[in-house]
Amino acid sequence: MSALASIRCRRRSVVRTAGRYSPRQVGSLMKGSATSRGVRRACQRIIGLAGVGGCLALCMAAIPAFGQDTPDYFRQNCTSCHTIGGGRLTGPDLKDVTKRQTREWLAKYLLNPRAVIDSGDPYAKKLYEEARNVPMPTPPAINAERAQKLLDLIEAESLLEKSQFKGLQISTAPFTDEDRARGHEIYLGMRRLEKGGTACISCHSVSKSAALGGGRLGPDLTNVFERLKGRVALSAWLVAPGTETMQPIFRNHPLSPDEIQWLVAFFESTAAESPPDPSRNQVSFLLAGLAGAITGVFFLDSLWKNRFHSVRRSLVDANTARGKS
Amino acid sequence: MNIRSQVSMVFHLDKCIGCHTCSIACKNVWTDRKGAEYMWWNNVETKPGTGYPTKWEDQDQYHGGWEKQNGQPIRIKSTGKARVIPNIFHNPYMPSLDDYYEPWTYDYQNLFNAPEGADQPIAKPISMITGEDIKVEAGPNWDDDLGGSPIYAANDPNLQGLTEQQRLQLSSVERLVFFYLPRICNHCLNPCCVASCPSGALYKRGEDGIVLIDQKRCRAWRSCVAACPYKKTYFNWFTGKSEKCILCFPRLETGQAPACFHSCVGRIRYLGVLLYDADRLEEVANLPDEQLVEGQRSLILNPHDRDVIRKAQSAGIPDGVIESAQRSPVYKFVMEWKLALPPHIEYRTLPMLFYVPPMSPVMANTDNGLTNHAMDSLFHGIDASRVPMKYLANLFGAGHEGVVRYALGKQLAVRWHRRAETVGDVDRATADRFLREADCTIEEADEIYKLTSLCTFEDRFVIPPMYREQAIEMIKEPHEQRAETGFGFVGGPRRGL
Repeated sequence: MSALASIRCRRRSVVRTAGRYSPRQVGSLMKGSATSRGVRRACQRIIGLAGVGGCLALCMAAIPAFGQDTPDYFRQNCTSCHTIGGGRLTGPDLKDVTKRQTREWLAKYLLNPRAVIDSGDPYAKKLYEEARNVPMPTPPAINAERAQKLLDLIEAESLLEKSQFKGLQISTAPFTDEDRARGHEIYLGMRRLEKGGTACISCHSVSKSAALGGGRLGPDLTNVFERLKGRVALSAWLVAPGTETMQPIFRNHPLSPDEIQWLVAFFESTAAESPPDPSRNQVSFLLAGLAGAITGVFFLDSLWKNRFHSVRRSLVDANTARGKS
Repeated sequence: MNIRSQVSMVFHLDKCIGCHTCSIACKNVWTDRKGAEYMWWNNVETKPGTGYPTKWEDQDQYHGGWEKQNGQPIRIKSTGKARVIPNIFHNPYMPSLDDYYEPWTYDYQNLFNAPEGADQPIAKPISMITGEDIKVEAGPNWDDDLGGSPIYAANDPNLQGLTEQQRLQLSSVERLVFFYLPRICNHCLNPCCVASCPSGALYKRGEDGIVLIDQKRCRAWRSCVAACPYKKTYFNWFTGKSEKCILCFPRLETGQAPACFHSCVGRIRYLGVLLYDADRLEEVANLPDEQLVEGQRSLILNPHDRDVIRKAQSAGIPDGVIESAQRSPVYKFVMEWKLALPPHIEYRTLPMLFYVPPMSPVMANTDNGLTNHAMDSLFHGIDASRVPMKYLANLFGAGHEGVVRYALGKQLAVRWHRRAETVGDVDRATADRFLREADCTIEEADEIYKLTSLCTFEDRFVIPPMYREQAIEMIKEPHEQRAETGFGFVGGPRRGL
């Protein structure tokens, strides 16, 4: 058993070394050439850095390759709002979309939805209103070729009886108080996410969520349950969040089905509340900061009240005060 | 035995008239520079008073000097190897400029340039630091001649241990008293400033014991300012370096007395070299308070002793210095007559400037509304003096009266003796009785009288030969430097490294 463990360990260390140094460098290091120890260590560090940088560059390069597979791309970027034959989520059901609109229009819309909406196109405007003013985000790394491939995929899937993108099987069990409490914990970051994702409060606020509110990078989530039209759409969103900000965070750290259930339960419970007035929240944050600073000053002052003060001034002040009274 | 030589000083307070000539001489020679305006390497204080900087003797506030706790060896009160780190950006026991005083001058040009107006133009006081108008609130001897002032004199730390009656008497009209305390750097044997410097910029010169600050190595930590219990190191805010009294070493090296000694009107200052045993320094600095004065005296060696002379020679002390130590007036005052006492030796820096405690007028008594300043006999006894013995003991005896009583008694005996000799209205028997009580022979009394009243320049200042031509060999090769004196550039102290 222990022998096995040691073998595994050794292999891992080899893998790690190989990851950090290019094979040629490893070779030259192994040889232990005439370079002095300090120089060698400096070289190792530089090579290590270079290795890490190289890996990063490889990862970056891997993204478009990843998206070459159109169904994967669709699953990654579109299913949070759309189904094919599964009914409406935030966005419309895409079954037979090519029959409802021309391919040219759809391609143009895919490349930059916001621009089409802003141009005053009546159809785009109608979509926008149907989605309760949630604009469709520009799909990541979209180009004309990919747009055509996506449309091909949708056409093909529309013909099928049961598309693979029909949507998720969302539990319909009623939310319990326990679900809501767990969802609250996840939101606050008190309960770790299973795959190590970031807690919601880092970027989002919910009314009365915490003393100092939550983050301000993302939108307020108090009414998100209603905004996204309920349980199915919200769950779908949480399976693969589609915005530019959330996607890179959750792509490798997806939420588990339980976590989604709890979070949706929590957001359903907050939907009745009104979102906090952001301007008032800012003032209270400022006031809390000021109060903290003042308390800190008084605390430190009392902590060091025996510190050295001016000698002459206090002597004179004590004496003149005594003279007056 | 590790014999070294130390240039030491005696100030005879009974002769000081408080004219501040010494301070002015020093200021004109050394501290008339930008950033040094507030410094008085030599200052004269009125006692009772709080001095300069205000209450410098109050080590509960300034944390100067060494402290000895629970039988532990002494340690610096203001800082330490570990304590310097949390205080790295702020030394907590620094006197502020207000505790010294904000230096000022007068806008004399206004007397000539003032526009025509209804009033006489005046020379307004302006700050020497900001150049703006200033309301003068303090000075280096603000309570000059104000023995009974309620703010300054009443807060003198030396009043500790005095009875309420003695305190009242010190400040009541017709009874109050003051004397002067001129102060320079004591060039201590166990200097706290040197010990506290994190840069090692302070050092005690090996050949004469003068304590100096290397202006190139000073890094403006100001540990010395906080550590010196006498507050005799100062921070120059312009050059960013600390400075202190240098005992006019360039003058000493050319055989001249330091500027303040040279200019002293009352001729109160004496200078001479002492030989001491450096091996016993640590032991003496750790003695209990009441043994410190005697302990310091035991460090000082008799320069006439053959054994001492031999060991001094083998320790590399030149014959000229030994010969100078034999003629030293300081040795007479401190060791032979035991008249001169170190100031506040309880700070344990072992100061090498000694003071002859002052005689003071008789305590007045009030009789039926009349204040009587006279006594029945010619000289009043030392216990009837206006300055309480306890006060002088706090200043010169670490709170213990014995050594002060001895010094005052001997001075009184010399007066009786000289009165009997020169005027003759005192009978010889009375004078002899006083001499006997004061542990003083007629020859000794005459010698004291001579060195106190009839002393010449050469009697007061026995400046040892400095042998710079030899000392310089430790630093430079003299032949390489030959004929180059006076050439090249010497930069002044500058901020930074």
